[in-house]
Amino acid sequence: MSNTSGQAYAFLSMTPIKAGEDVRLRAYIEGLARTRPFDRLRRTHFARLVILPDWVNDPSQPKADHLTSQYLIFSATFDGPRDSYLDELGKRLAPEAKEIWGRCVGCPPSARGAPLKRYLLHNQIDIGFFVAAYPDATVETVKRVLAQRKQLADFAVRTQGLEASELRHAYQQEF
Amino acid sequence: MAEPERILVLTQVNGNEHDMASTTRTTSAARPPAAAASAAAKRAKSAGGAGTRGRTSGTPRAARRTRVSASGHDSPAAKAAARSDGADTTLGTASRNVDGKAIAITVFSTVKWPGRVWLPAVFFVGSHIPTPFARTLSRLSFIHFARWTLVREMPDNGQQDESLHYPHLYFESNFNGGWQEYIDAFSHILTTGMKIFWGTSYGFPQPLPTGPFKVYIQRNEIPASHFHSAYPQATTTMILSGLELQEKLERFDEVSADLSDEAFAECWRDLLTDVQGLL
Repeated sequence: MSNTSGQAYAFLSMTPIKAGEDVRLRAYIEGLARTRPFDRLRRTHFARLVILPDWVNDPSQPKADHLTSQYLIFSATFDGPRDSYLDELGKRLAPEAKEIWGRCVGCPPSARGAPLKRYLLHNQIDIGFFVAAYPDATVETVKRVLAQRKQLADFAVRTQGLEASELRHAYQQEF
Repeated sequence: MAEPERILVLTQVNGNEHDMASTTRTTSAARPPAAAASAAAKRAKSAGGAGTRGRTSGTPRAARRTRVSASGHDSPAAKAAARSDGADTTLGTASRNVDGKAIAITVFSTVKWPGRVWLPAVFFVGSHIPTPFARTLSRLSFIHFARWTLVREMPDNGQQDESLHYPHLYFESNFNGGWQEYIDAFSHILTTGMKIFWGTSYGFPQPLPTGPFKVYIQRNEIPASHFHSAYPQATTTMILSGLELQEKLERFDEVSADLSDEAFAECWRDLLTDVQGLL
């Protein structure tokens, strides 16, 4: 089990979708690109919602595996501990959670707060191997260094040709 | 006398700011993925383009239909899923797998019985011991985060019985660049690693040549319905460069604090020469 790399956590859950709810669920999730609800969970580097209609079977398999329900896969890579992240999810994603996990078998009726957290934990699949390019950088750090990088490049071009004293003054003003 | 050259370099640096989709990192000791991808793309093309992806090819959708039919599970829901993949993008994948420059890939494969023992061992070693595979993977600077795991059973929520004949290998990656280039780089640079991870999966065709491997991944890929990146316009290279730049800038602040103006300016020019590859 390797759900962490540095300070980054890799969460994965698979929840069975209620019979007859898959079309509405898919339509709702596909609309999330407009509202970007995971922006409200500021520790989230990446997140995805995937509907698994059935197992992928290869013709060379002696037997085929089939799901009796379609499954909703929720995967997120975020900063810090899992429990506090799911607490935040239960609060800040509550409006969407009702429409998402509320369409899954076994989800508590409120689909928010501590009951939703327990539900997601119950359906968590531990990760075997997790790799991160920048395991110790939080979302906040990433955004800061990206802004700083751009700022430095702009500054370098803008200050070409300045006298030494002017350059130093400009640098001290900028950084 | 070196000043005009510096000015030219800095102008070039600024020009590159808007061309940030590079999938290579100049400090990487590995073969540059873009170069590998380019070479692989040429080979794939000369081999008949078996690895092409997109609406013009028809291969992935045809493959997916074949898979669904072969499994005897050509349900309305499965058909709906296939229909709503979203339009393929210029990045070579469904639009819902894309957020800005970030791309999601989600792949399942069915694992043969030796994989029940082999893959947990691979995961353990990979997670606890620095391996050439992990080092190379971290140098593939177009991957933000990737993960593998085995799904052996489904959590019990009171739904119908979901007993499995086989474990299923889950793989996901969050990367930037293009789908084709990603698979090419994986196949050419992590050839052994691919065999280690997918060698116990049914139908795995070996990573090289890339054409059949791409068809395999396409057949086994499940498109996302929603994909989110906190920094959708950032490539992994930009982030790693930014982190390295931050360290150098902190050192510059320490070193230059007590210098004369002239020495500060010289130190600044040295810094820019040093970090131009990071901007």
